[in-house]
Amino acid sequence: MTGHRPNLKDGLPVRRGLVETPFDRHLRPFSLAEDWMPWAGFVSARRFETVEAEYFAIRNQATLFDISPMHKYAITGRDALAVVNRLVTRNAAKLGDNRVGYTVWCDEDGSVIDDGTLFRFSETEFQLCCQEPQYSWLHDIAWGFDVTIEDQSDTIAGLALQGPTSFAVLKEAGFDGVENLKPFGIMDVASGLKISRTGFTGDLGYELWVEASKADELWDRLWPAGQNYGLRPIGGEALDMARIEAGFIAARVDFQPIHDAQRPSRGRTPFELGLDWLVDFEKGHFNGRRALLEAQRRGPRTLLVGLEIEGHKPARDAFVYHGKKKEAGHVTSALWSPTCKRNLALAELRAPYGVSVKDDLWVEIYHPKEGKWEKVMAQAKIAERPFFKNKRRSATPPGLF
Amino acid sequence: MTQYDAIVIGAGHNGLAAAATLAGAGKKVVVLEKNGDPGGMAANSTVAPGYECPAMAHLLSNLDGAEIASLGLERHGFAYAATDLPTISLSSDGKHIVSDAKGVRYADGGALAGEAEFLTLRARLIRFADQLAALKRKPPPSLSGIDWREAASLGKLALGLRRMGKEDMREFLRVLLSNSYDTILDEIDDGPLAGAFALDSVLGGHVGPRSPGTVLTLMYRLANGGAKHQPRGGMGAVMRAFEKSAKSAGAEIRYGAAVERMVLSGDRVTGVVLADGTEISGARVLSSLDPKTTMVLAGVGNFDAEMIRRARHIRTKGCTAKVNLALSAAPVFTGLSDDLHRGRILHAPSLAVMEKAFNLAKYGELPTSPILEVTIPSLADPGLVDGDGHVLSAVVQYVPYSLKQGWADDSRNALGDVVVDCLDQFAPGLKAAVTARQVLSPADIEAQTGAPGGHWHHGEMIADQMLMLRPAPGIERYALPVEGLYLCGASTHPGGDVTGIPGCNAAKAALQVKLGRAAA
Repeated sequence: MTGHRPNLKDGLPVRRGLVETPFDRHLRPFSLAEDWMPWAGFVSARRFETVEAEYFAIRNQATLFDISPMHKYAITGRDALAVVNRLVTRNAAKLGDNRVGYTVWCDEDGSVIDDGTLFRFSETEFQLCCQEPQYSWLHDIAWGFDVTIEDQSDTIAGLALQGPTSFAVLKEAGFDGVENLKPFGIMDVASGLKISRTGFTGDLGYELWVEASKADELWDRLWPAGQNYGLRPIGGEALDMARIEAGFIAARVDFQPIHDAQRPSRGRTPFELGLDWLVDFEKGHFNGRRALLEAQRRGPRTLLVGLEIEGHKPARDAFVYHGKKKEAGHVTSALWSPTCKRNLALAELRAPYGVSVKDDLWVEIYHPKEGKWEKVMAQAKIAERPFFKNKRRSATPPGLF
Repeated sequence: MTQYDAIVIGAGHNGLAAAATLAGAGKKVVVLEKNGDPGGMAANSTVAPGYECPAMAHLLSNLDGAEIASLGLERHGFAYAATDLPTISLSSDGKHIVSDAKGVRYADGGALAGEAEFLTLRARLIRFADQLAALKRKPPPSLSGIDWREAASLGKLALGLRRMGKEDMREFLRVLLSNSYDTILDEIDDGPLAGAFALDSVLGGHVGPRSPGTVLTLMYRLANGGAKHQPRGGMGAVMRAFEKSAKSAGAEIRYGAAVERMVLSGDRVTGVVLADGTEISGARVLSSLDPKTTMVLAGVGNFDAEMIRRARHIRTKGCTAKVNLALSAAPVFTGLSDDLHRGRILHAPSLAVMEKAFNLAKYGELPTSPILEVTIPSLADPGLVDGDGHVLSAVVQYVPYSLKQGWADDSRNALGDVVVDCLDQFAPGLKAAVTARQVLSPADIEAQTGAPGGHWHHGEMIADQMLMLRPAPGIERYALPVEGLYLCGASTHPGGDVTGIPGCNAAKAALQVKLGRAAA
C-alpha cells in the first residue's frame, strides 16, 4: 500500500500517513468492505465484511482482531515493582508472576490517565498495554528509580483470538500447555511468542504477543488451524459491541484520559468510573493517592453505571433524565445486545444520580427512521455489569466446542 | 533517643531563622548542618591566614528590620560596618559614576547628563517596589483557595496600585513582566549608569538584561529603596548572630551532621537518618535545601510524579562566581576618593556588554570582560584582617555552572586572572598586591553549600519562579505533601538574598498546622 501513496515531496526520508501492522498483508485480502480506521498511527479495520457477522463470530466461533497498535511498554530493572506500584492504583505486589491485571493510573489530582493491562513476568519485569501513549509519563514516574522503560509498540505485534472455539484453534495449531492457562495467566509458548488468557470480549479468549519479525510465522500457523473452527478476522466495530456486553470501559469514549483533555473538569477518579476495587490505599504512596483519599472522603461527583433500557432502540449519545425532566447525565456507550437480548448502555450520571438516587431514570433516544427522526423517552434501570457472562470464559481447561 | 518537635536541615541563615522562630515558640528544635560552620552561602572564608573575607554573599540589602528585631540579631552581635553604601560604576574612560540615595554624579563631583531621567525612573520603580513590599514579607497567596485575610491583603495591593494613579498603574502593569534592558534604555543612554542599575536585576541569576521578567526582579531588590549595607565582621558574623539567636531561643545545633535520608511513617515524616547512621526523630522536618534534594531525601516515591517533575524543572543554573583576594595594601582606584573605595564598586560598563557576557555564559564559556560587584570590606571593617593588608570581595556575574572545559584548577585560575586583570586596569598595582586568591566557581558553590547549580538564590528569581510559583505551584506555602515536612530555604518565597523571611515564614507555617495524634 505504501507504494501507492504519493509523496508530496520527492525523496522525503520520513514515512507519511498511517502505518501497516505486521499482520496487515495477511488481513488486507479479507477486507471486502475496505472500511479502515486510524488507531494510534496504524491502519486498523473497522470491519472486514459486515459487523453483524463479525459480532456473531465472536460469540459463536473464533475471531482474530489485530491489536498490534496497542501501546506496549516494557518496564524492567531492579525497581520495576516499585515503579509499577508508583504508577498504578492497584497493588502489583499482589499480582503473581506470569499474571495479568487490569488497572488504571492517575495524575496528581486523582484523575484517570488511562486504563490498561499490566503483565507481570517477575518482580523485575513488567509490561503495560494501553490505548494512550505513555512513554513520557512513564519516564516521569520512573525518575529516581533504577528501571528501563522500553516502548515496544512497534516491535511487538498482537492478535486477539476470541470466541468459544479459540482454545480449539490454539490446540489445533499445536500450542501445548495452553489448556492449563487460567484466566489472566500468561505463558511463553515459543521463542518470541507469549500467550495470555485475556481479552476485551468477556468470553473465552486469548491474546497472542509476538515479536514483529515473527508475525508471519504465527499467522501461518494459526490461520490454517482455524479453518474448521469458524476462525475469521474482525474489525473494531464488532469488538466494541462485545466489549459493551462485557461491561468494559473504553478510553475517550466512557472516560476522557486526563492528559488528553483540554478541560480539567473532565477528569474522573477510579471511584467515578466504578473501579473502587482497583484502588489500594494500603500499599504506600502511589500517584494521585492523596487526591484519591480526598476524593473518597468527598464522594464521587459523577458515576459511570450500566443501564438496561426498555425497548430495542440503542440509546447512543442519549441524555439521561430523572423523572423524565431533570437532566441526570448522558450515555457514553450503547447497543442493543443480540446475545443478551437486552438494550444496554454505559452512562455517566451526575451525583446524586446513580449514587444515592437510582430510580426513575429515563433515557431520551433519538433514532432515524428512513429520513425521519423519531424520539422515545425510555425507562432505564441501573444494571449490574458485566451484562454478558458465560462459564466458558473461565473454565480451565477450556471447552473445545 | 531524644524526640524533637522539629528538625531543621541546614544551618544557613534561613535554617537558623526557622530554628529560632520554632524554638522561640517553645518547640524543641535541632539544626543539622553538614559543614563545620553555619552559613551556607552567607559565611566567611579565610583567604589567607589572618585574612577573613565574606565567602560568597558580601552585602545585605533586604534584611528587614522586622526580622532583625524578631530574631534579636542585634542582641547577638549583629551590626553594620557601613550602611547605605554608594554605588560606583567604573568606566574605562575614567569617568566613574557614583549613585546613592541623594542622586547620581561623576566621581569627581561633576554633573551627569541624563541625571534627571535616571532619577525619575529609579523613583518610579522604587514606588512600584513599595507596592510589592507587602507581598514579600508574607507567605505568597495560595493558588488553591484563599482565605479572607489573604483576599484582604491582595485587595489592599490592588487598592494601593489604584492609588498610584492611572498613569503609574498603567506603567506598572506595562513593565511588570518586561526586561530591564528595554525599560532602562527607554529612559537613559546605555553606559555605566544603565549597567549599574541593571546589575541588580540580574545579579545571582542566569539571566541577561534582555531576559523577560528582569524588571520585576529589579523591583524586588528596590523594595527598601535599594540600599546596600556592609555587616560588621563579614557575612560570617551575621551568621554567628543568627546562630546565637537560634541557640539562645533554645535550639540545638549539630555541625558535621549530614542528613542521609528522612524517615516516614505512612504519609508523615518522623525523623531523619544521618550519614553516620544516627537516627534522630522529630515530629516536623524543615529543610532549607532545595525542593528536589529535599524530596530525594524524603524518598521520590512519596511524591506524585508531577510534583517531582516541577521540582526537577526549577531553573537553578548558577551563573555567578566569587573571587576573594588577600591584598598586601589597599587598592587605589584611579579617580575615586578614599570614601568611595568603601562603596560598592561595579564593573558593568553597559547593558550591551552585560548581554554579551551572558551570551558567553549561556554557551559555557568564561567571561572575557567580567561583570563585577566588588567591595573592599576591610576598609570599613579593619577587624577582618590581622595587620595592614586588605581583603577584596568580588562577585563575578556571568560565569557558567556548566563550563565547556569543566571546572578544574586551570579554569579557576583563568577566571581569577580575568577578574584581577580587569580590576588592575582601574586600580593599577592591585595585581601586584595580591598575596592570596580564592576562586569559587558555581560548581564549587554547589559543592560547598548544596545549592543546586550553585545558584545564589536556590532557584532563578524570575516571575515564573516567584510569589505563588516559588518554588513550584502546589508547594508555595512551605508545606510539602508529606505531613510534617516543610521547605524553609531560599528556594521558597520570597527567595534569595539574606532576608531570613523564608525561614521565619516556614516556621510559622509549621507552627500553624496541628499534627496528628501520634506525632504531637
